[in-house]
Amino acid sequence: MTFDVRLRVNERVATIELAGELDASSAGRFHETIDEAAATGSIELVIRAEKLAYMSSAGLRSLVFARQKMGDDVRIAVVGATEPVAHTIRLAGFDHSIDLIDA
Amino acid sequence: MALDSGAASPSSPSGAPTSCAPPASCVPGALRIPARLACLDRVAEFVLGLGARAALPDSSLYRLRLAADELATNIVMHGYRGATGEISVDGGIDPDQVWVRFEDDAPAFDPRQGMRAPALDVPLAERQIGGLGVFLAFTAVDSFEYELVAGRNVSTLVMRRPARAAGPGTG
Repeated sequence: MTFDVRLRVNERVATIELAGELDASSAGRFHETIDEAAATGSIELVIRAEKLAYMSSAGLRSLVFARQKMGDDVRIAVVGATEPVAHTIRLAGFDHSIDLIDA
Repeated sequence: MALDSGAASPSSPSGAPTSCAPPASCVPGALRIPARLACLDRVAEFVLGLGARAALPDSSLYRLRLAADELATNIVMHGYRGATGEISVDGGIDPDQVWVRFEDDAPAFDPRQGMRAPALDVPLAERQIGGLGVFLAFTAVDSFEYELVAGRNVSTLVMRRPARAAGPGTG
């Protein structure tokens, strides 16, 4: 099982790319990257999830953390999530405050 | 910035890969793993292999793996609570279903007691998301049963097989 997370910041938009499998053992690295993104003062956080093959509730916890760290004024979008990952986000009702966008 | 992949997180330092290997006495087809997050990849591999042999559709296979992952994580985090322990995992394929069973020696704990449906009306930043993992597990599978058997926690997940996938059971 592998997990990869990358952060880039361009004109106050922070983009985090996720790839592989996000579970309880890998979520800590996503949290660290969210911390780094929050420190950039970005006004938008884009989470690219096209290559995220699997996400457990640990990933949902990360999204709550992201919402708390980034603040209410920052738009958070999850882009290109596969159907099972998007389903998990919707099932938890997180799509009310995080935009789920097709790639 | 790029980070390399790996199973370890800051809270679970990576041990030697062999540390998750089952003891020599382990029954073939079943698992006994240390109750550590870093060892739960082996649960996923076991469940994905079982589901593939049962010809589960991709969506069912994903949900069975999710439920198994959430249940195993729950045993580590809320059952053993950091104490040393083991989780036994076995499973089987029947003509109409696939089942996966978890056994552990943590204090008696029905995972469903900690289950909470999402509080959809609470702003995300204020959410208490404890119990969400078990909720995901419970909703992902067709059946989720818990029993206390001779002092051991036993949880069984069941996923139905579509009629076209049903063949000779191997479990």
